[in-house]
Amino acid sequence: MLAFVIQRVAQSALVLLIVGLVAFSMFRFVGDPIDNMLGQERTQADIERLRTTLGLDQPFPVQYYKFLANAAQGNFGVSYRQGRPVSDILMERAPATLELAAVSGFLAISIGIGLGVFTAIRRDGFAANAIMSISLIGVSLPTFLIGILLIYLFSVELGWLPSFGRGDTVQLGGWSTGFLTKSGLLALILPSITLGLYQMTLIMRLVRSEMLEVLRQDYIRFARARGLRERTVNFRHALKNTLVPVITVTGLQLGSIIAFAIITETVFQWPGVGLLFINAIQFVDIPVMAAYLMLISVMFVGINLIVDLLYFTIDPRLRVDRTKAH
Amino acid sequence: MLRSISATALALVAAQAAHAADFTWASNTDPQTMDPHAVNSAPVLGFLNNVYEGLVRRGKDMTIEPALATGWEPIGDGEGWRFILRQGVTFQDGSAFTAQDVLFSYERASSEEADTRSWFAPVSQVNVVDDFTIDIMTTAPNPIFPDSIANWMIMDSGWAEANDATRPDKDQGNFATLNANGTGAFRVTAREPGLRTVLEPFDGWWGTPEHNITRAEFTPIQNPATAVAALLSGDVDFINPVPIQDVARLKADPSVEVIQGIEARIIMLGFPHEADALKYSAETSDTNPFADVRVRRAVAHAINVPAILQTIMRGSAEPASQLVSAAMRGYTPSLSDRPAHDPDAARALLAEAGYPDGFSFGLKCPNDRYLNDEAVCQAITGMLAQVGIKATLDAMPVQNYWPELRADNYDMYLLGWSPGTFDAEHPIRFLAATPNEDAKLGSWNFGGYSNARVDELLPMIQSEIDDTKRQAMLDETARILQEEVAYVPLYVQPLVWGTKADIDLTQRPDDFFILRWVTVN
Repeated sequence: MLAFVIQRVAQSALVLLIVGLVAFSMFRFVGDPIDNMLGQERTQADIERLRTTLGLDQPFPVQYYKFLANAAQGNFGVSYRQGRPVSDILMERAPATLELAAVSGFLAISIGIGLGVFTAIRRDGFAANAIMSISLIGVSLPTFLIGILLIYLFSVELGWLPSFGRGDTVQLGGWSTGFLTKSGLLALILPSITLGLYQMTLIMRLVRSEMLEVLRQDYIRFARARGLRERTVNFRHALKNTLVPVITVTGLQLGSIIAFAIITETVFQWPGVGLLFINAIQFVDIPVMAAYLMLISVMFVGINLIVDLLYFTIDPRLRVDRTKAH
Repeated sequence: MLRSISATALALVAAQAAHAADFTWASNTDPQTMDPHAVNSAPVLGFLNNVYEGLVRRGKDMTIEPALATGWEPIGDGEGWRFILRQGVTFQDGSAFTAQDVLFSYERASSEEADTRSWFAPVSQVNVVDDFTIDIMTTAPNPIFPDSIANWMIMDSGWAEANDATRPDKDQGNFATLNANGTGAFRVTAREPGLRTVLEPFDGWWGTPEHNITRAEFTPIQNPATAVAALLSGDVDFINPVPIQDVARLKADPSVEVIQGIEARIIMLGFPHEADALKYSAETSDTNPFADVRVRRAVAHAINVPAILQTIMRGSAEPASQLVSAAMRGYTPSLSDRPAHDPDAARALLAEAGYPDGFSFGLKCPNDRYLNDEAVCQAITGMLAQVGIKATLDAMPVQNYWPELRADNYDMYLLGWSPGTFDAEHPIRFLAATPNEDAKLGSWNFGGYSNARVDELLPMIQSEIDDTKRQAMLDETARILQEEVAYVPLYVQPLVWGTKADIDLTQRPDDFFILRWVTVN
């Protein structure tokens, strides 16, 4: 067990290092931050001096090494654009993204499972067919377009919901939450639907096909034959058995909800880390880009590590195989 | 009698209260700092003009008017300028404004750490005469010095010292990065970078307010479609800019209004004057056709600027003939015609220059710097092809663009220039003077254009006190640049703002949004 954990952690660390190296090798293609940082009236000498000060005159492996050495001490540098520590900025922006991701994830799971069960039970009903057809939109339309369409419908035409931003937030310790104000909750609706729609349709279709599979099984027929109520059969017996693959997929999708928040945040001017990253690219704010990419890769690697470890504990076959191999 | 006066007063108060209003506005860029000396960029200076003030400021028509100085006059034969300061002005934290603050702000804004350092290159010394008189001495006579410091904002020396912000700090940030303490009509009451900045009227402001705003909130909205939606849904009262393609739609909506004007920025084409050969040509590897003035003139004749403005800019820009627009000081009215669109003349000029069959070359262009920049370059490519010169267009984000230009990787390039001083001398210094690192001349003259007479005229223009003589020299320079086709000026970039119909405001060509001119009806 311990050897397996150590091996997995070491692999994760290696993946992280490689992601960072690739990221740093890409930064020079994003452009040159110097012109943004100096005004119109800069001279060539100013440009050279700033380049040296920022260490941008050095080859990227050296820049990467310095970034790692500082990051190991918890120092992610100072944003070129804002002139403030990157860790402060990320801490400010993280609550917005995490709250949005949590609400989107909740919507995707609850509505996705609900509709999945419904469409499986009433597989030939008109409503189920309609939902299945509409769900194609969620899978096929790009997030950007869905967001703009929702804004035009609910903000511009109907005037019910705010078109951008996070509404009023309440500061709880170091965490700014939008859950406690009316405008904060209203502002969450459109972005969370936009962000969660793809995952929702994915989960719905997954649950539906699993359910259809399970409903054909003998133990469901026997349960029905035993005269159990339809409700008990559908939810106790059938749904429970469909959840294993659903949980796996959902867990892996959690990371992508946070990562794909970039587009939703841009459309809704949602002040999270994704929007911060887009700004950083436009300004070539290398410290912010580097910290964000590392953060996201830590998250993905972390989720995968946990999933791996969970499999290890859940699935005895894995353990047997490994003992044999040694 | 007394009763009627107090009744009138009450009615006035009531009327004002009824008109008092919240105002929200959005722009695509967040001011990256609240420090007026740390960054020399339009989003920062434009925003901070509402909070900080300079000795002078620009009015609705861009003319220089008194602000913290009530008057100014040249000292002797142009040894410097004496400014008489306004009395009874307080900063937003309550401390009094004196000449010491001006001296301090000079030291701060001209320090090594400041981005505004170059504004003070002509200054040799600043002397405090008394609490409300200050002399700014210049190394040479400098007639436009008051014009050049409208964005030099005065900071309280005591406040800066108490908060350990006596110098701007771009790298690490300091107290002044997030907080502000000016003398202006509005003070910053909340600042969340990239999210929102809240301004409230400063009760102790020395001027008489023209606005009726009680609270103003600024939010950056990067995505243009979201900004338009926010304006249409009434979530914001004002957006800048409005995407050109949405102008017609917004105009059709009675609840919003589109305000169009022209900016100070001239969009032009530049050439590799110094290069020995083209870099991206298929057939001419050892000559540089653009070194020949006839070829450059052919380019000017080949481009149909009115057509570009009609189709790509949807009629909202103006053609340009010089490196500054007609709204700038020192513009030459007699040279206001740009070369006519005449493909035959262009072909004749090319043949005369020895390129009857044309040639191919590389055109570099940014795709996110100026309004519809890439579309303009595509149109230019097509127009040049009609006279036989075939451009290969390479459009890229501006962060990649400047390094390419600096490395001379172009055969022709697109450039926009907005003169910071609103004076015709500015582009001559940066774009037309022979590049000279030590003298800080020609720092954006990528192509290395060089003309001895222009180099000779520039210092004379800079130090000429007499306006008529100065204008004559500016006219001569403009004529030389036009005759030699140093650049091909194309058009003045349009400025398009959108507001709710119940808002009155003033649009200034420098794209600064001045909150104290806003009335919510």
